[in-house]
Amino acid sequence: MRQFNRRTFLKASAAAAVVSSVPLYVSFNNYKKAAEDATVHKIPSFCQGCTSYCGIIAHVKNDRLWKIEGHPIHLKSRGHLCARGHGMADYAYSKDRIQHPWKRGDNGEFEKISWDQAFKEIGEKLKDIVKKYSGNSVVWMEHGSHRKPYVDRLFDKIGSPNFVTQYSTCFNSKTNAWQQMVGGTLSGDHQKSKYIIFEGRNFAGGIVPNGMNLITKAKEQGTKILVIDPRYSEIAKIADEWLPIRPGTDLAFRLAMANVLISEGLYDKVFVKKYVDGFDEFWKYNKHNTPEWAEEITGISAQKIREIAREFAKNAPQAFIEPGWHGLHAHYLNSTQTAQMAIILNALVGNFYQRGGLMPSATVTLGHLELPEVFGPEKGDRVDGAGVDGEFKTVEPARGISHLIANKVAEGKVKAVFVCNNNPLRTSPSPEEQKQLKDADLVVSINIDWNETSYHAAHYILPEHYYLERYEHPYTVSGHITHEHPQIALRQPVIKPLHDSKNIIDILDGIAKGMGYNDLYPFTVEDDIKAAIAPLGITFEQLKKAGTIEFPATLKTGFPINKGKPALKTKSGKIQFSAELFKLDGKIGVPTWIAPKVMPDSSKADEFRLIHGKQPWHSHAMTNNNNYLMAMSERYDGMSMWMNTARANKLGIKNGDTVTMESSIAKKEVKVKVTELIHPDCVWVPSTYGGYSPKNTTAYNVGVNFNDFIPVMVEPWSGSTMSQEVVVKIRKGAM
Amino acid sequence: MARYGLVIDDSKCTGCTACTIACQLHNNLEPEMTYNRLEILETGTYPNVKMDIMPMQCMHCDNAPCVSVCPTQATYKREDGIVAIDYDKCIGCKYCMTACPYDARKLNEERVPVKCRWCPEYLEKGEQPPCAATCMNDVRVFGDLDDPNSKINKILAENEVVSLLPEKGTKPSIFYVKK
Repeated sequence: MRQFNRRTFLKASAAAAVVSSVPLYVSFNNYKKAAEDATVHKIPSFCQGCTSYCGIIAHVKNDRLWKIEGHPIHLKSRGHLCARGHGMADYAYSKDRIQHPWKRGDNGEFEKISWDQAFKEIGEKLKDIVKKYSGNSVVWMEHGSHRKPYVDRLFDKIGSPNFVTQYSTCFNSKTNAWQQMVGGTLSGDHQKSKYIIFEGRNFAGGIVPNGMNLITKAKEQGTKILVIDPRYSEIAKIADEWLPIRPGTDLAFRLAMANVLISEGLYDKVFVKKYVDGFDEFWKYNKHNTPEWAEEITGISAQKIREIAREFAKNAPQAFIEPGWHGLHAHYLNSTQTAQMAIILNALVGNFYQRGGLMPSATVTLGHLELPEVFGPEKGDRVDGAGVDGEFKTVEPARGISHLIANKVAEGKVKAVFVCNNNPLRTSPSPEEQKQLKDADLVVSINIDWNETSYHAAHYILPEHYYLERYEHPYTVSGHITHEHPQIALRQPVIKPLHDSKNIIDILDGIAKGMGYNDLYPFTVEDDIKAAIAPLGITFEQLKKAGTIEFPATLKTGFPINKGKPALKTKSGKIQFSAELFKLDGKIGVPTWIAPKVMPDSSKADEFRLIHGKQPWHSHAMTNNNNYLMAMSERYDGMSMWMNTARANKLGIKNGDTVTMESSIAKKEVKVKVTELIHPDCVWVPSTYGGYSPKNTTAYNVGVNFNDFIPVMVEPWSGSTMSQEVVVKIRKGAM
Repeated sequence: MARYGLVIDDSKCTGCTACTIACQLHNNLEPEMTYNRLEILETGTYPNVKMDIMPMQCMHCDNAPCVSVCPTQATYKREDGIVAIDYDKCIGCKYCMTACPYDARKLNEERVPVKCRWCPEYLEKGEQPPCAATCMNDVRVFGDLDDPNSKINKILAENEVVSLLPEKGTKPSIFYVKK
């Protein structure tokens, strides 16, 4: 521990006296100093700095979070944490948190209300809306689907099919392709691989800390790493080679790779014969997509494409193209086909269910709480059209089309919106269109801070406990890395709630009771946890103490076989090169070349494609109000837009200059970083900035956001935003 | 008595900045105050270009200029190699800030030029301090230079290492793996 001098000690004593009379967060640093010698309690939980959900050990003194460390067992962290994890732990003490329920008055100003009043008014309004317009007019918008089992009870009661995740802005094109072609997603076995291609995938930006640890270890053992990305991303820094590709053309690169593998006979013919359906159809449509053809489109030489395809095949099955996350999978008109090609390339070299190739995650089956069944009116079609005949039939209904909901309010089809752990006004395209959410008859924001959705659209704001203050249903740990042993992890309170907030079941129960449904939620989160772990042979106390529990290894290599036949959860049981669902309206199920929707005109010096990505210390806009992480942005010029040096020179733009950027829907000023580390055709902005809620004081008016510049569009196969299908004009100087 | 050293393999750093914030929270620092930083350098011309990232902090020099210029012996070298600060003795003259060729010190709110402490509460237990422990790429490895079996000595034996600004004669206790 640091030794304090006399001056510090006096200050700390004074602070200790103050602490008792004002809320903790006001005297944050002084309180920490006063607590310097207090006993440290170490409580395991897991992170919410992003959706990797790494295991953490929280260090708590006098009921005050001091710091966190990576959980040593949890397979996402294994003792390590990234910056956003540390930062978001401290965010518990943000002064911009929602401290109690709020209601927007007739004058537009927010007034403090009690939970009782909030539940009564929201319940009554919701009841009227359901009576007048049916449950089909009610929407729940959430980041993911973690609260869905709880929300379902209310939505079953009122008859709403509209649980919407934010994944249409994130990775829908990937999961849709994998579901249709493989029946689920596999992950790369980085550590045992000899050759890894990260294309549009910045593993060092969207971070799984233990995943990065495995990748750097693999590299030390000689694994070759190739990064294909218009920007020299953080993972490019440790790559053997960085290949800048023309943005929007990854599909052409992948088709040409497949062309080399097939035409040169390099693919795994035995694997393809046994485990692939639709190979001939794929080849029929793609014979002509040669490396020479792709060179024109991608800017990567035919010779280089051949070289990569051959090296990929040579190292297979200990080689893979990283299945990816956000990058490429909500970005272009051809994103679904690009994702399909990742599957096809990996399958062509036979790396499925192989060490060093693609592997599943070990998992356990959790138990369920026995609850009385809920009966309600029959549900209609989803209001966002996901999975609906004649609308977006091929889009996964379980994920929905988040960025369309505001327009559905404007069309009069949505009357009540609940937005939980989600901020569509900042994370969906075209903020002005997203603001239409506020015109619904009832808008309830269940968020922890004054994000844009709370400030600009909510009629009521209900604070949920922060992740460090609550229990949640246990998680089976999985995603993005492979592992032998199943794990489950628990989120549990490490500090007492700082404000007048509630957990989600109590919030839903309050609303249900406000509608007159008194027995929809006859259970607590703790009951749910106990039921979930009952089949696992562990106790709640053991799980609380350990935070993460690992079970004996269950993972097996080799293609899933049942009664001698391939047994994937697909139509044929094999990997489907042709996705049945995509064969609509005369379309084909195999991927073939589709050009990006828009292209900057290369004859015009001022036209660029606007692309975006994750900074390693931020999780898109979710962390932009964090003092520590925004200080990092300040330190490393993080808010600037990257522009290629040669292009900047043509426009007379120098490093640090302010430019005016204009798309069809917006015109804004932004500071430029002039760099050699980006493809000349595009400019890149981090996905973090552009906060426009005055009450999220740290984020407010800092930088721009890519969503400001893109209209609401829907990718036809998977429903994503196509967030890089935008051409901007840039000129030197302020507006 | 141990003699502590630190090996940094900057070729593995991907600039996530977790080292900075883990240090900040452990040491109760405000967001603007840091004890370590990254220096980022871009070289070459598109597309033949690369980025180097150099984690920087107090080098805990054996011949530390900040120790020799301090008029009150507030900055002193411990037997275990750590360059430490006695807050009571500091008069805030800032000579140490000027003398340090690594720009390792910053003035805190009490006008004390503070810097990386090498967290002896971890090193003395043979553990890695927060900046190293949180690092997903194991860029930093701390250890006892006098212990022939320590991991740091293994790395030093297997790799060529350099110190920063050797011409200054400061004899840093931080070694960078040359790659």
